[in-house]
Amino acid sequence: MSLSRETIDKIRKFAKEQSRYYLEDAEMTYMEKMRRKSAQTRDRIMKKLAKFKNRSETALEAQNDMILYMSDYMNDLIAQGYSEQEAFERARQDLQFRSDSDKSADLKERFTEYYENFDPAASEAIGLFYAGFLFFGVAIGGLAGLIAGGGKDAFLSGGWIDTLVGVLVGGVIGLGFGMISNAVVALKNRQ
Amino acid sequence: MVVLDNLSEMLKGVLEGIVLEIISRGEIYGYEITRRLHAMGFEGLAEATVYALLLRLEKNKLVHVTKRPSEIGPPRKFYTLNERGMEELEQFWTRWDFLSGRMEMLRNQGGKPS
Repeated sequence: MSLSRETIDKIRKFAKEQSRYYLEDAEMTYMEKMRRKSAQTRDRIMKKLAKFKNRSETALEAQNDMILYMSDYMNDLIAQGYSEQEAFERARQDLQFRSDSDKSADLKERFTEYYENFDPAASEAIGLFYAGFLFFGVAIGGLAGLIAGGGKDAFLSGGWIDTLVGVLVGGVIGLGFGMISNAVVALKNRQ
Repeated sequence: MVVLDNLSEMLKGVLEGIVLEIISRGEIYGYEITRRLHAMGFEGLAEATVYALLLRLEKNKLVHVTKRPSEIGPPRKFYTLNERGMEELEQFWTRWDFLSGRMEMLRNQGGKPS
């Protein structure tokens, strides 16, 4: 049974897009086994993997395999009574790459590692640094604004704007110090 | 009709062995393996599984590939087992015999050796 030109083009497009995921998955499974051996081996495999990501001969072969596999499957579906379009949609759905392999496993691993190393005390310290520096900055800024603006009398007769500017600038400076403290804590935790 | 829910989960560990055995019986191409599996009753098997498995077998150098022209354009790959594939298949059946023997023992004697 021969498929229409349009459907074959659709199959080619689908195969080009999907086959690389399968290929990468096959390669990653292989890589996973090798990874246990040594970091050196891992680097070598990664280089190999990067090569496969390109339009290498292997990638094209995987693409061609998928084109044929998909058209065989579609022909079976058509023989069962599906229209060409329905067969394409069904095959597209069934052959869509679903990753439950290394990509998601790596992600899970990284999340687990993050939560295992997560220290609530560090987060609390960061929060306190922010709050402390913010209060400190607002207080110093407000006081400096009040004094620079001419004191209490000037404040009451319209000089409050200087105090407000002092509060805002102090607040921004406080947040800046909070961020620096956050960076220091984050770097210490990483070590 | 036997209830075969979750069969694909159980098949995950043995599908490679099943496909290696099918390939060992004679030259065959990708989708034909899927057809053979369907004919054996493994109809619930996801279509993509065999395609992905064949890529892996090829990557792990367990099969020999012969390319022949196809009606649709790209060359069709026909698979046969190479020496490494034969060894892998042999090991698979050894593992299977061990496992099925222990499962039978468990079923018939509650895990006590006769």
